[in-house]
Amino acid sequence: MSESRRDDMLARIREAVGGNRRSEEDLAQLEKRLTQPSAAPRPRVSDDRLGQFIAKAEANLITVERIASLQMLVPAVRALLSQTSAPPDISVAPALEHLGWPADWHVNIGAGRRKEPMSVTMAVAGIAETGSIVMRSDPTSPTTLNFLPDVHVIVLRASDVVDYPEDAWARVRAGAPGWPRTVNIISGPSRTADVGGIIVRPAHGPKSVHLLLCHD
Amino acid sequence: MQIKDGNFSTRASEALADASLQKSVSNLKRGFVAARARAVAALPEYEAMREAGAAIKDHTLDNLDFYLERYEREVVRQGGHVHWAADADEACRIVRQICTRAGAKSVVKGKSMVSEEIGLNEALEADGLEVVESDAGEYIVQLAKEAPSHIVMPTVHKTTDDIADLFYKHHRAHGFDERETDPAELIGQVRSILRDKYFAADIGITGANFLVAETGSNIIVTNEGNGDLTSTLARVHIVTAGIEKVVPTLNDAAVLLRLLARSALGMEITSYTTLSTGPRRPGDADGPDEYHVVLIDNGRTKMLAGTFRPMLRCIRCGACMNHCPVYMSVGGHAYGWVYPGPMGAVLTPMIAGHEKASELPHACTLNGRCQQVCPVKIPLPDLLRRLRHDQWEAGFIKSKVRWGIGLWAWLATHPALYRVSTRIGVAVLRLFGKSSGRLTRLPFAGGWTAGRDMPAPQGTTFHAAWAKRNPQR
Ligand code: SF4
Repeated sequence: MSESRRDDMLARIREAVGGNRRSEEDLAQLEKRLTQPSAAPRPRVSDDRLGQFIAKAEANLITVERIASLQMLVPAVRALLSQTSAPPDISVAPALEHLGWPADWHVNIGAGRRKEPMSVTMAVAGIAETGSIVMRSDPTSPTTLNFLPDVHVIVLRASDVVDYPEDAWARVRAGAPGWPRTVNIISGPSRTADVGGIIVRPAHGPKSVHLLLCHD
Repeated sequence: MQIKDGNFSTRASEALADASLQKSVSNLKRGFVAARARAVAALPEYEAMREAGAAIKDHTLDNLDFYLERYEREVVRQGGHVHWAADADEACRIVRQICTRAGAKSVVKGKSMVSEEIGLNEALEADGLEVVESDAGEYIVQLAKEAPSHIVMPTVHKTTDDIADLFYKHHRAHGFDERETDPAELIGQVRSILRDKYFAADIGITGANFLVAETGSNIIVTNEGNGDLTSTLARVHIVTAGIEKVVPTLNDAAVLLRLLARSALGMEITSYTTLSTGPRRPGDADGPDEYHVVLIDNGRTKMLAGTFRPMLRCIRCGACMNHCPVYMSVGGHAYGWVYPGPMGAVLTPMIAGHEKASELPHACTLNGRCQQVCPVKIPLPDLLRRLRHDQWEAGFIKSKVRWGIGLWAWLATHPALYRVSTRIGVAVLRLFGKSSGRLTRLPFAGGWTAGRDMPAPQGTTFHAAWAKRNPQR
């Protein structure tokens, strides 16, 4: 890209909006706006935040199961698998590697694979407003695990459920090294209505999303 | 994308004669309009949210240079590249250069209206690249060598049978030998074929519903997960976006996302909202090695400078077309370009030029529904009126259209005659609309009403009612 083309284009935009006439004071206001909390109206969230989160998630066709602690994760996943006869072959996010996965399972720790029956991942936040789950990419949480599996199992701490996306950004930012490459806000299984207007699940992503809400 | 030859009237008459199109369009009408109405009714804050959304957009547009520079700074800070394209040719050239430098052979694309606006697929294919659309709807129209007929539901003009035939013809090459008619099977074929394409792609191109100046992120919303896989699996992620897509903060984006899902699909939120910021970080197990954003002007600064600035608030939700009687009658292809319906009737002449789209601002009854449902309160009827005016001044209007408007204008400026002619009109219309209050047939105009469904006038004319109420006048 040529520098001058960029400058010409920006100059025309500046001219069109009268940006040249901006005072120091105006600029300070714009800077301030970038860091101010939002005052925009939002849909009301019930006082029972967790109750609303679960109800909304279920309305989004996310199945929700409560577990007492992360130690219950492997048994919960085993229960999901026992419904199929195939030998377990799953992918697990590095964040959950240490939880003692059975030695006789095939457990891929890392990014998602082309054929991916099930993945188990860890979320950073839940949003009560819409029943959504917030995933953050980092070395322990690959993005492909959110889209390639047939069944996506997500672990979320109940204490990480917030009211609004506006409250979730801080949790996304909290992990090192700052703002991540990818944030996925997941609000249901993958679907499409592009053939005859009939809803089909899945399209390109998971057919089902199972949430393990952890209470420790 | 090329602007179609011929004119709106011809394409509109063809569309009106197409029964299968009519069926799809009326399904759309029922589904989207009802779903949006439910979503809006469920939210007492909705009107205030619309105000807030429009205000965010206005504020950003008023300071667009500031926010674009800030956005650029943040993208670069996160290791990404920002390219500035004044027009469609420049934008295509930039993307082609990125592909060449990457030694690319294959491209997978998420849904991007602006990439269709600049004719990107054709440009890349001319360079010998394989380009595959990944949104199921876009994939289908690409295979059929057609244009999308709706900005949110590109296949609204195609029946399941059409798609079954299309896949039977093209998917045998991928080992699907049977003609399937079950939507789940058909989508299953797309899923399986695209899975391989995502992994093989050198380049993933997506659009952006929003660009966030605060973080240097681009946001896409999908229900399929296609754009999300496109952004993640290819070695190079390129984002094509109009300059008006930038918003100041993540919180501003949150406000607009609430409006978008409700207005587009009548839902609170889509299955996936994905924010991408720069290339993969050190130690990440996936994500692209390179991240590029192409900021595209292509006529937008021209709109920014004048009366048409409010049009740049558009968040491409499609609500205006779902509620437009003209769009509902003729479908999206009649508009001849990427953007159909009321928003297209403004954008097409503004981007492509009056001389290429002189009829579009007239494909409107000025009923005002579009403005009422627009989540960012764009005064579409005013802008269309303004365009008509500008075209009139510039002499772009065809004689027939001029004649129609001329007659109406003449009647309107001769009150006595106007009253008589409208009174006769009302009496005749009432006669035929008696039973249902809805007219679907008019005498001597079968061909005309076959494509139109108009409410029968209730009562008398405004003039007559006014006179009755105010006898002294
Ligand atoms: S003009 Fe308004 S209603 Fe139409 S697509 Fe744009 S934002 Fe939606």
